[in-house]
Amino acid sequence: MICSGNCASCPVPLLFLAGGKRAKSRIKKEYTKPIQKKRLASQFIFLFITNAAFIFGVTGLIYPYFYCWEAPQATMSCPIGIMEHAVLETSIALALILTGTIFIVSSIFGRAACGWACPIGFLQDLIGKDKKKNKKGMSERDRKARYIKYAILAAIPPVVYITGTMAYTNICPIGGLTATIPILLLSPGGYTPTAFFIPKITLVALTIFLIVFVRRGWCKYLCPVGAMMGPFNKVSLLQIKFDESKCLKCYNCAIACPMDINMPYDNKSAECIRCGLCIDACPTDALKFGFTWQ
Amino acid sequence: MKKVAVLIISIILFASGLYYGYEDSKRLNESRCLGCIALLPKAASFSTFWVEYPPFFHKKGIPAHPEAVLNESREHVVMLFFWDTGCDPCKEQWEEMKAKGIVDGSESDGRMTGNFSNITLFSIDIFNEKDGLRWLNVYTPAENPSSTPTTVILFTKNNTTYWYAFSGKADGKAGRPDLNKLEEILNEAMVMKDDM
Ligand code: SF4
Ligand code: SF4
Ligand code: SF4
Repeated sequence: MICSGNCASCPVPLLFLAGGKRAKSRIKKEYTKPIQKKRLASQFIFLFITNAAFIFGVTGLIYPYFYCWEAPQATMSCPIGIMEHAVLETSIALALILTGTIFIVSSIFGRAACGWACPIGFLQDLIGKDKKKNKKGMSERDRKARYIKYAILAAIPPVVYITGTMAYTNICPIGGLTATIPILLLSPGGYTPTAFFIPKITLVALTIFLIVFVRRGWCKYLCPVGAMMGPFNKVSLLQIKFDESKCLKCYNCAIACPMDINMPYDNKSAECIRCGLCIDACPTDALKFGFTWQ
Repeated sequence: MKKVAVLIISIILFASGLYYGYEDSKRLNESRCLGCIALLPKAASFSTFWVEYPPFFHKKGIPAHPEAVLNESREHVVMLFFWDTGCDPCKEQWEEMKAKGIVDGSESDGRMTGNFSNITLFSIDIFNEKDGLRWLNVYTPAENPSSTPTTVILFTKNNTTYWYAFSGKADGKAGRPDLNKLEEILNEAMVMKDDM
């Protein structure tokens, strides 16, 4: 598909419209340190690559993050959509390319795609409320709630198999946000809603509510793609290294962490999106990004 | 060691995934399942059969009907039904056509039935059939992504091929025909093929 020239259909301005003032001040306040400047550039570049079918065309690659392949300018396939098709078609080939993509990206970078590439993560970074100052990391209840996303991920294949439908896709709020709404804006009279329209839009509204009021709320509790990548944080080459001898126990790192991880001790947490905010917050360089084979 | 092992496994998975799965993933990505995002395209109204592309297709000339379809359309009226596993509107339309006595069997192994048994059905799984997507693109307006379900009816008379098509479910909404209209079109095609 060629760029329609209809900017209302493009998720980029949508993102900023959605974020408005908060997005602007977030960029001014939070994306100031060296790592964060790079991260902002990376998030913009990936937002562009994600929606650049007018340059790259539609490919058979898979996004190593969450984005809808029905988006007007989508360049790659959605990992969850491919997963559902792999089940519906009992296709080993699709299962291979999906696991291959997730494994290769995550075994090198851990869940860094969430912090540096995913447009949905970017959206949340821009429009999510400031987090509470909290030195202690997540509460026990919060920690347990983080397992919901793994449960969702685990439920998708059997439910798809039993119902024989794209069970997740039918109601996926990310698809609603990045495809259904832009496509409708692009061509208001061109489509009619199906029975899933109301549930989908309701979930979009709930998701927006969640991500405005809970920093990275979608990523923390609900994202099945984040659930695929999270466990790789334990074995990925890219790690956050902690040098205890330099640590002042100020817990600026824990306060800065958008995922409420118990830093600096839990530096291999499956929740870490490798955003580097903790590193930037540390007054003594006790925390550092580094590639390691250990 | 653990990391080396994970990395090697990842490389093997990714390389074999690209080799075996890239084309499949691309095909799925190209055929937009609009039903999945809770939308169906409005069908521009084909009030009757066309020979060339109608203006609202934004394509010019006579469609490049697939050879196999063309050959069959010389003998019989042909109905093409494009579907995809997991496409709910496809499944619904199929079941409704079955209930109405237009088709019989399953999407993957179906045939026309009753008054329509003389019509040849091509029920095309756009993922598993090699040329499915290419065929579907012939019947998709230029500015729309090709989507399932799409239904096409055509026949050839005196070397001219007449065709009728719509994307989205046959539910009578938003310019799309309903099943009664579909029956009418099928009947009209059979009469025209014999009479002209
Ligand atoms: S967890 Fe968040 S950042 Fe990661 S893929 Fe999901 S939506 Fe994107
Ligand atoms: S631990 Fe550090 S890098 Fe990981 S999510 Fe928290 S702030 Fe970002
Ligand atoms: S910010 Fe740095 S010095 Fe402070 S607790 Fe964290 S690691 Fe230690």
